[in-house]
Amino acid sequence: MIPLVRFKLAAYARSHRLLQPVIALFAMMVVFYSSPIPAGKELSSYGDSAGLLILVFAWAARSLLDTEPPTQRLISMTAAGRPGREVGAGLLAALAVNLGLTAIAVALPLVHGFTALPTPGDLLRGLGLHLLGLSVGTALGALTSKPIMPSPAVSLLVLFGGYLAMLLLSLTPVGGFTVPIMPWMRAANTGGLDAALLPLTAATLFWASAGMTLYARLRRTRP
Amino acid sequence: MRLSEVCFRYSRRDPWVLRDVELALRPGSVVEVTGCNGAGKSTLLRLLAGIVPPSRGSIFGQPRTVGYAPDVFPVNQPFTAMAYLTHLAGIRDVSPTRIGELAGRLDAAPLLDRQLGDLSKGSAQKVGLIQSLLARPDLLILDEPFAGLDAHTRGELPAIIGEIAAAGGTVVVSDHQNQLDTFPGAEHWLVGGGTVAVEAGERPRQAVIEVLVDADRADEVEQRLQADGYTTRRTARWTA
Repeated sequence: MIPLVRFKLAAYARSHRLLQPVIALFAMMVVFYSSPIPAGKELSSYGDSAGLLILVFAWAARSLLDTEPPTQRLISMTAAGRPGREVGAGLLAALAVNLGLTAIAVALPLVHGFTALPTPGDLLRGLGLHLLGLSVGTALGALTSKPIMPSPAVSLLVLFGGYLAMLLLSLTPVGGFTVPIMPWMRAANTGGLDAALLPLTAATLFWASAGMTLYARLRRTRP
Repeated sequence: MRLSEVCFRYSRRDPWVLRDVELALRPGSVVEVTGCNGAGKSTLLRLLAGIVPPSRGSIFGQPRTVGYAPDVFPVNQPFTAMAYLTHLAGIRDVSPTRIGELAGRLDAAPLLDRQLGDLSKGSAQKVGLIQSLLARPDLLILDEPFAGLDAHTRGELPAIIGEIAAAGGTVVVSDHQNQLDTFPGAEHWLVGGGTVAVEAGERPRQAVIEVLVDADRADEVEQRLQADGYTTRRTARWTA
């Protein structure tokens, strides 16, 4: 499966579509860190960044999965031996791209943005929150990719609308049971993250894996 | 490999493309699939290739190594032909030296350094054929492979198909142009009306003749022709 992941990443990088989410990421970074983050507020800032970058992660996953022409997916399915491997390789390639974006999002404020370096613990917590955002974003991007939603208008509406719905639902009292974006932002802001980390991670990963499983399931009849 | 009561439709709201298809594929056989546009040939090939599962029914004994060449090769990819085929050889876990061998055979060596997007239809078709042959397939599926090919490759392809069949592989070719009409031992499948009709062995050549008779004698002549084993069809009831 790794050679197929490499093939997809090579096609994505050469198609210059990678520039779209990278530019969006840098635009968001400029907004986040236009004024310096005071010392002690690093984790709070990481929490916001992880919640808002879900949109960029989703866009990157969707654009990676949409790079290949539909017929190439059929060729890749037979070359890989099973259709499921093509679907899995697509998700892995999307996760790899988003890991790269996460690395930028976590490292950039260390160079420019934070007035003081965060403690190693806060750096790890910040990275962890971004990984949660990455998993949700990748699932949302996959579910709005072309094989599932052939119309670009519908797909973009569902991508942005889906993100907004997740954000709003997580504000409600049942927020802990949905993708808990607002709860993790709040916990990172008030210093209660360590206590809430386990349920937040469990809920987020549950929804992310549910989304990816649904994607893989739908792709069975939508090659 | 066997298809049992296979039905297929793309979604629950769509009409059936194929219904209750029963087919058997022997190792070493060559099958030519014909049918009108939109009859479901490509869908049948995708089912055989294992790309889509049947909506109902089952497919047994699907081979391990499947080669698939689509009817239109997707040229819209940012690779040279060589870089593309090297990636595909990696995915199939075969040595890239196969690329050179196959390119030589299909007269495609000069194409390898060109960008996929710059290839003509026939040249792109050759890249599609090469990738399908990188690993010796147990099942080779070619969707309209002859379209746009030059005379040399059109002549070479049946030889390659014969070699794969001789080695015990199964080859299924959808072919509008009946290039395999004279291929020895080829089976013919006709896809239409949601079903697949199997014509074993050489396809009988048929012709249509019209017979003009007095309307009063139509029944008598028709019965006599049917008694002789001919299929008759009334085209017009009365002529002035």
